Amino acid sequence: MEKVKRLGDRPEANSSSPTISITVQGVLIMSDFIASPGEATKWLRSLAGNHPVFFPQRHGSANYRFLRVDDESLIQFEDYRPTILPPVKIIVPAWDEMLGFVNKPDGSTHVSPSVDTSFRVLAGVRACDLKGIFLMDLFFHDGVSDPYYLARRENTAIIGYGCRQPCDERAFCAAVDSLDHREGADIFLDPVRGGLVLVEARTEQGRRLLDGTDFEPCDDGPARMVGAVANRPDPFGRALKAGVEKLPDIINGHWKSPVWDKHVEQCFSCGTCNLVCPTCYCYEVHDDLNLDAQSGTRVRTWDGCMLPNFSVIAGNHNFRPEPASRQRHRVKRKFEYLPKRYGYGSACVGCGRCGRQCTSGIDIYDIVNDLAVEGP
Amino acid sequence: MTVSRDQTKYLEMAHRTHLPTMGRITEMYDMTARDKFYRLELPTPLGHRPGQFVMVSVLGVGEAPISISCGPRDDNILELVIRKAGRLTQVLHDMEVGDQVGVRGPYGSGFDLEEFYGKDVLLVAGGLGLVPLRSLIHSITNQVERFGKVTLISGCRNPSEELFRNELKDWSKNDRVTVIRLVDNTENMPWKFGVGLVTDPIPGLDIDPVKTVAVLCGPPVMYKFVILALSEKKIPENRILVDLERRMRCGVGKCGHCQINHLYCCRDGPVFRFSDIANLQEAMQ
Repeated sequence: MEKVKRLGDRPEANSSSPTISITVQGVLIMSDFIASPGEATKWLRSLAGNHPVFFPQRHGSANYRFLRVDDESLIQFEDYRPTILPPVKIIVPAWDEMLGFVNKPDGSTHVSPSVDTSFRVLAGVRACDLKGIFLMDLFFHDGVSDPYYLARRENTAIIGYGCRQPCDERAFCAAVDSLDHREGADIFLDPVRGGLVLVEARTEQGRRLLDGTDFEPCDDGPARMVGAVANRPDPFGRALKAGVEKLPDIINGHWKSPVWDKHVEQCFSCGTCNLVCPTCYCYEVHDDLNLDAQSGTRVRTWDGCMLPNFSVIAGNHNFRPEPASRQRHRVKRKFEYLPKRYGYGSACVGCGRCGRQCTSGIDIYDIVNDLAVEGP
Repeated sequence: MTVSRDQTKYLEMAHRTHLPTMGRITEMYDMTARDKFYRLELPTPLGHRPGQFVMVSVLGVGEAPISISCGPRDDNILELVIRKAGRLTQVLHDMEVGDQVGVRGPYGSGFDLEEFYGKDVLLVAGGLGLVPLRSLIHSITNQVERFGKVTLISGCRNPSEELFRNELKDWSKNDRVTVIRLVDNTENMPWKFGVGLVTDPIPGLDIDPVKTVAVLCGPPVMYKFVILALSEKKIPENRILVDLERRMRCGVGKCGHCQINHLYCCRDGPVFRFSDIANLQEAMQ
């Protein structure tokens, strides 16, 4: 399926080609250091003294969240379960102010945009979530770049962390090619042999964040990585019954399939799967009026294609009235539509959140596997 | 150490893509019980093509996509028809001449007039579909000698729902333009034109499939039946243009609501070549 040629001739007419610049943080550089976990932790704490640093923490509750690091924080790399929400939601918050406005008594209106350019560090970002952010970079750069996303993203430094064990039984990151994703990180930390951490500075911004540390420079990083990766279990997490590169074509052939009905039987159309997904970016726009009834803000909030009204138009026509048609859209979007539009592989990163958090236990992994078994 | 980048760059981007400019209503009147015509004066010319749309805002109430109803023009005027269908459109209906309305755009592909030059043009409009097609009809009637014969089939539910009555009359006075006016049902109102669906006249039309471009806009249910009728007249799929409607919140291919399979209706459309979307299952629903 080829991209449809636009009838028009506006400048962004060809901008959805797969060759979108994604060097959000500037020129890619590489330099490696080696540190002990204690040194790495100490360094993150010192960063947190200067900037807001977000790190997966439990803070007494059952599940992890990306919380701001303070003196009480437990910074612990190894023990990890995927956070309730992926870290990209700090860049695309649930309530995102776009414009402020004042309706004046003379009937005129003053409107001004608002953007958040405060600096933050997301640390302990796993490869699946890093790929999620990388894909979001693509989506929000496509065509007219999104100023609100860019303002936060270009002022966010990312410190990734490599997994050596599947985080839990729901993960299928390796099956969708995100286990070894590194692009988009400023620094990537990889546990290597000897209980050490390989610290890879990937961007100038990353190198600056390492200023003042006494991590030892290391020139055998690639060799250490080979050893570290060799000890990972194989398969790493759940495997899919078809190669991820074959899925767009396989799923394309399944417009009508009993699989859609089978997996939607228990679906409440609650949209949890959308809300916890690292690559769901759809949004609704609301105007929020202040109590003076004259001023307020235009905000965007998360929306989800599983919610019943997602594609309703004026006059109440609904283009996806049944839960099965909405679920088909969601699955196709992750495994067929977006991969075809952008050419960067699966838009599902295999983090397992949607299946893990679904009230009914519906897992996109099972849906895709059932389709894979049916074949094209 | 790392410092936050200058806000200016992002504010300018937001200004360009998300900030409505304020237009003033210079004329508005009822077209039907639920549709109002608006003429707005904008600070600068919109510079649109026929078939594009704008996002219309009332700050504090909301924003919605609205088809542009006038042909391309050099002045600051924008013409719209807005049906009362929700909270925002209710507020717009309650406005008066002189009130301010936010507008951003134009957005979408629109029609490329070059494609129509020297061709016969068949326009099929159902209900509100006449509103965006009027932008194309104006472009055609302004230079009608550049086109072959022009046929407009305009259908609506009943006589009281018909839009642009006077213009339909005016267009039909042009020798090259045939206007076929239909209602689904007269519902006991006076009506001296046809009764039936917009598909009904198509089999009887004298169509040269080699030199005809067909354009469709109407309610979702209309498309597949009109396309069936057109394909029986052997009009090739790449010369059928469909103007589609979807929910839209951003206009720039980000908010996700208007997706038709892998395409964004707001950016890749709303005018599509039928051959490009014939195989997309969701397009003609």
